[in-house]
Amino acid sequence: MGEGAVKRAAFPYLLLSPAFLFVVTLAFFPIAYSFWLSLHRIVFVLPHLGESFIGLENFARLLQDTRAWQALKFTLLFVGTTTLSELFLGLLLALALHQPIFGRGLIRAIILIPWAIPTVVSSQMWRFLFNDQYGFLNLLFFGNHPELYRAFLAEPISAMVAVMAVDIWKTTPFCALILLAGLQTIPQELYEAAKVDGAGRWRQFVHITLPMLRPTIVLALLFRTLDAFRVFDSIYVMTQGGPADATLVLQFYGYKKMFAEGLLGYGAAISVVIFLFSLVVSIFYLRLIFLKK
Amino acid sequence: MSPTKKKTFFSCLIIGVVFLYLIPYMWFGLASFKSQRTLTAIPPVIYTHQLTLHSYHVAFQQKDLLLYLKNSAIVAILATLGSIALGVLAAYPLARLKIRGKNLFLLLFLTVSMFPQMALVGPIWRIMRTLGWLNTYQGLIFPYITLTLPLAVWILVRFFEQLPQEIEEAALVDGCTPLKALWKVILPLAAPGVFTAAILIFIYAWNEFFFALLIMTYPARHTLPVGIALFPGEYTMPWGEIAAASVVATIPLICLVLFCERYIISGLTAGAVKG
Amino acid sequence: MTRKAGILTLTIFLFTVTLVPVKAQTTLTFVTWKPSEPQLWDEIIARFESHYPDIKIRREIGPHSSTQFHDLLTQKLKNRDPEIDIFFMDVVWPAEFASAGWALSLDSFFSQEERQKFLSGAIAPNTYKGHIYGLPLFIDVGLLYYRRDLLEKYGFSVPRTWQELVSQAEFILKQEKDHQLTLKGYSGQFKQYEGLVCNMLEFIKSHGGAILLLNDGRALDAVRFVRDEIIGKIAPRGVLYYEEPESLALFIQGNAIFHRNWPYAWREFSDPTKSRIAGKVGIAPLPHFPGERSASTLGGWQLGISKFSRHPQGAWKFIDFVGSPEIQKLIALKIGKAPTRKELYQVPEILTQNPQFKVKQAFFGADPRPITPVYSLISHVLQSYFSQVISDPKSDIRTLADRATEEMRYYLSWEREQ
Repeated sequence: MGEGAVKRAAFPYLLLSPAFLFVVTLAFFPIAYSFWLSLHRIVFVLPHLGESFIGLENFARLLQDTRAWQALKFTLLFVGTTTLSELFLGLLLALALHQPIFGRGLIRAIILIPWAIPTVVSSQMWRFLFNDQYGFLNLLFFGNHPELYRAFLAEPISAMVAVMAVDIWKTTPFCALILLAGLQTIPQELYEAAKVDGAGRWRQFVHITLPMLRPTIVLALLFRTLDAFRVFDSIYVMTQGGPADATLVLQFYGYKKMFAEGLLGYGAAISVVIFLFSLVVSIFYLRLIFLKK
Repeated sequence: MSPTKKKTFFSCLIIGVVFLYLIPYMWFGLASFKSQRTLTAIPPVIYTHQLTLHSYHVAFQQKDLLLYLKNSAIVAILATLGSIALGVLAAYPLARLKIRGKNLFLLLFLTVSMFPQMALVGPIWRIMRTLGWLNTYQGLIFPYITLTLPLAVWILVRFFEQLPQEIEEAALVDGCTPLKALWKVILPLAAPGVFTAAILIFIYAWNEFFFALLIMTYPARHTLPVGIALFPGEYTMPWGEIAAASVVATIPLICLVLFCERYIISGLTAGAVKG
Repeated sequence: MTRKAGILTLTIFLFTVTLVPVKAQTTLTFVTWKPSEPQLWDEIIARFESHYPDIKIRREIGPHSSTQFHDLLTQKLKNRDPEIDIFFMDVVWPAEFASAGWALSLDSFFSQEERQKFLSGAIAPNTYKGHIYGLPLFIDVGLLYYRRDLLEKYGFSVPRTWQELVSQAEFILKQEKDHQLTLKGYSGQFKQYEGLVCNMLEFIKSHGGAILLLNDGRALDAVRFVRDEIIGKIAPRGVLYYEEPESLALFIQGNAIFHRNWPYAWREFSDPTKSRIAGKVGIAPLPHFPGERSASTLGGWQLGISKFSRHPQGAWKFIDFVGSPEIQKLIALKIGKAPTRKELYQVPEILTQNPQFKVKQAFFGADPRPITPVYSLISHVLQSYFSQVISDPKSDIRTLADRATEEMRYYLSWEREQ
């Protein structure tokens, strides 16, 4: 009798264990290793300097690193702007696709195209489109007057806007898809009951849709934010952080330090900083669901 | 507005929005049919009679596009299956069974997504090398599973949580083991969540570049993003070929999503529970 | 009796056969990029393998992008992967690879006598602390391409100084305004990437300055000139995000008068299926500032051997073979890459096909970027500095230069640290 109960109590943990095992070996160990590395001074190209333990010195230097601050500022701007835009536009798109219209399936497939093309490829595509001489966007805005064409990626401000716009274009379908799945699970009866009560579409939306959708919204918001903090591919291909470091984001800066310059400890410190920001933001979001529950 | 008018209005609106949304992609698709000279014409040329299939020819013949598609498909499909399987197994107890520290587990899974992939590449590469898994499919599949598990688990937990207790109890009363109840009852009802997660994971694996660059270095094993990164020459950028490759690369994805379509909608049978 | 003898003979025979050393086949792994002309490399490897039947070459392919290739290659070397034997190095990597302990010293293979046959400018970046770590296979140098037809139309000869170039461009632009509104004066690579350092090095060196002394008057003036006269006047703002393909596209569509690029560009211009200006292009060394000499940044790729390779002798055989005059000539003829052996610059066949190789002073006198293991750190500082200065017409060059010079000095001091 006791044995059966033990088996039943252990069963959930048993189911959980494969996933947990994966995560521990292939994620936690590397993460812990990164934390450890961030406390050392490592210069790959000068091995004679050794790999000395320097405590929090990397972080102290980061605090004084103007380029890191610039990267942080743009990363925060990037995260805020893209996440909110994608959520908003994604919600609109999801609502539209929730309607039983003809060809809904095909349209749902088609809107995934921007997101389905590998980022490194679509970033090249956008470089092509943003070109100041033969770019499509210039054709769209200014027609056949090349003398009016603008060099979007050459000016710091327009480059920042361009990079964010591209991310929004590409990732809105991600939010839309998650929100759409969430919409599907709201029982129709609630709407019918509300209609009987005389509630209009707007009231239905505010009092039924939004509240029922809240956990899904927070889910989409959460993962989009975490991904936005780690944005890399599009910067890597489109601007390499330029012009004049205007589009430098934290992970790209960390990449330059870690891979190109071989400063493993410093790069790891940057990763830890990204992690800490993500942690703070996640806890903020999670409180949003758990508090209201 | 009458219901039918509303329907047509929305239909037109959506089709319009979708069209606008896809214009950049359509332009790029058109580029795949243009010659090198017309591609960089100033001002840009929308239509030209000199359409050519040359770019496609080069992409397939010289640049092994089919091979990259094959590799990406294998890696992405297996990673998706693996991640969903493990995700379901993990989400089920977290959502519906008694687990101590449920929130802690969820947070732990989430931390994987908080850490920049850049920092994980080094140690993971070393682990794969020790296992002898560099340039093998599993060498890429296992890291992808790990990186997508947080999203899978969180989405599935969310969808599992919503299902009412009664169905499960009904199934158990009927004599099902918990696992069978999971397979036969819970999963079908949580289908929208499962298939949504599957699509998201697939596209992540399809898109991923950096791990693939470092782990798959044999020409026979390159995945699509790496393969297309091989198109440019030292100083040349073959827009036409890259465009052709992008067009071809999206076709399997559209098929996949169309396939998953039915299962996402089937969630509407949630109404059946109330009865 | 005969049976016993038979068994004995057989045993002796088998014994001797197994004792005779069978030549084991070695497989060498060659990390390279995807060639734009696959047949060429297939042929080179086939020739090598027929020459040395006991060695097979297996290729691992990476992207052409220097940064991506660097990531891929160093990932293996950092982890002391014994699987790789031969690899390509960009011209700025040998010092880094030597210092990090990734590249094998080639002193014992690559004799001084043999080195003399190569361009001295190409050998220099491959040496570190007196030892040699790479064999240069081909080089790139900065060249000036110009629209011969436009210069002839207005009776101009090839500009010798930058000031001349600017005034010629301004004049032609004004005159051509009615026929060609989209004509621009100058097309170069000024995006925040390695190519920016190459372009700016040419301006600074041709003003008698040094790239590590950014706050010296000559370097400051050169940078100011680029910001105000080139970017500010005759080049489109777009050059601030151009890499080679975009800058070439501007010129090849007939929309630029002057163009700075590497030797590869000549083939692109001369191809009528791609170019609108075939037959109208002239080649010249890059201009300089008055009283100084023309400067041309050195680029190119070298072959190195991994320190962890198990077959260094075999690896050297491959490198030596590929770097031989015959193969370098083949490469020059098939894909137009400039050879590193001095003698090949006299071969008429090569020169007719690649007239840009005739700009001897560029190929023989190219200027390398700083040769130091911490080059990537230096380069990032330079890229940041240049991009900041030239993209903002009101930038405070002096302060930024001071800061950048200080930062580079700091990184360079690490080399001397104990």
